[in-house]
Amino acid sequence: MNKPIVILENISTGYTAKPVLEGVSLSVHQNDFIGVLGPNGGGKTTLMKLILGLLKPFSGKISFPSGRPPTGYLPQVSQIDKSFPITVKELVSSGLKDINPWFPHPGISQRKALHRMLDEAGLAELASRPIGELSGGQLQKALLSRALINKPRLLILDEPNTHVDKQFERDLYNWLQELNKEMAILLVSHDIGTISPIVKTIACVNGNLHYHPSNQLSEEVLRVYNCPVDVIAHGPVPHRVLKSHDHDKD
Amino acid sequence: MSDLLSVFEYQFFRNAVYASVLISIFAAMIGTYIVSRKIVFIGGGITHASFGGIGIAYYFGVNPFGGAAVFAIMTALGIEWIAQKGKVREDSAIAILWSLGMALGIIFVFMTPGYTPNLMTFLFGSILSVSTTDLYMLGGFGILVAIIFAVFFRPILYTAFDPEFARVMGVPVSTFRYMMSVLMALAIVISIRSIGIILVLSMFTIPQITAMLFTRNFARIIPLAAVWGISGSVTGLLLSYLLNIPSGASIIFFLTIQFLVIKLVFVLKKTFLQRKRK
Repeated sequence: MNKPIVILENISTGYTAKPVLEGVSLSVHQNDFIGVLGPNGGGKTTLMKLILGLLKPFSGKISFPSGRPPTGYLPQVSQIDKSFPITVKELVSSGLKDINPWFPHPGISQRKALHRMLDEAGLAELASRPIGELSGGQLQKALLSRALINKPRLLILDEPNTHVDKQFERDLYNWLQELNKEMAILLVSHDIGTISPIVKTIACVNGNLHYHPSNQLSEEVLRVYNCPVDVIAHGPVPHRVLKSHDHDKD
Repeated sequence: MSDLLSVFEYQFFRNAVYASVLISIFAAMIGTYIVSRKIVFIGGGITHASFGGIGIAYYFGVNPFGGAAVFAIMTALGIEWIAQKGKVREDSAIAILWSLGMALGIIFVFMTPGYTPNLMTFLFGSILSVSTTDLYMLGGFGILVAIIFAVFFRPILYTAFDPEFARVMGVPVSTFRYMMSVLMALAIVISIRSIGIILVLSMFTIPQITAMLFTRNFARIIPLAAVWGISGSVTGLLLSYLLNIPSGASIIFFLTIQFLVIKLVFVLKKTFLQRKRK
């Protein structure tokens, strides 16, 4: 096993005095592909914000043995204001890291990286378009390009399969499999059925965290880990989601 | 026509035109930020809260603009702080500060002994009495805003669009948000003398909304908004002279008419193209 890039040790954190996550431990290694699953309000987004440095731990320790890695982040598309007047090129270039955050005017090498990224993502022809004119899939591609332009070692994706069609979803997962050869990926989702064939391991987050060292979530495994699954009609296709549950009963 | 042009022989009218051009230019930049972030309601809160500062300044016999500036800046920073901390609902906080400012203004103006001659100027504006000193102030502020937008264009854009991502990228989001709040407050206060508390926000929204009919690119909205702001305000000024109506109201009325006409042209063009395709 290679050296971890992020280590969480017994962390409690949240937004108010009452912690959303308690006693969370997790190590993320190079080339890991972890599906972060859990019910709404279970703390998936809180875990992601903790790793991104947007939240501080109340207790416990977060460490980066080789220094904080370049991290790409794809927020939920519902957080993005599509009516905001910003072009695809401006959106993607906002992910450029190696420039002074106070005066982030990209230099020649950054502009080259931007054009390379736009070409790779097939967005070159849409570069000058405002994001309001993009389809759901194109916007998701632009947001993923923003996360990738910095050549991250850790990629964090929050529900990337929402507001996209099935074809794009398949393309996205193929792209992620390729990217995983070069970086660790944390994929946050509430839908076990869709992501379990894609990821390598699963972290079940519901107030605390239980790490499943495989992507096989059989009924047997779920019973052992006390992670009940509901099949619910959510959207056009019924799919499997984690029901709110308590790991303390494990 | 010569009657209309003869009005430019008057210094006061030329000053009014210069003032509306200068206000249109910095309002184009600040207003694009306001409209893009959908924080017009915050602008309304800042504008009306500044009346509290004017009332208190009258009562204590100090410069009303100083009072308005202090109140506007405090309100803008307070709203941004509430928005970032999320302790109170942002819209509720704006509503409280908005009405509190107006209430304080009314109470202190009422308590001020004697007649308050310039009160109507603050409420409805008096662009025809803009002095050369006022023009220097407007020009100086316009240059400051232009420099800030030229140097910090990207962080301003990124922090307005997706503050969480900007924070992940190491952009000092809070600093930029507070800086923009102060600029917004100052821009509003500095324009109040010309346009008035009741109407000033229109200069920061209508030209931008008009420009957004043509483009959805932040950098391109700014010059277009300046053009529509200048054309609307100068035409409004000329109309106010011709029709002998209050200039501030005339400017806003013409800015709105200009927007509606352009919108109508766009709707007709779209309908025509759709029919042609069929």
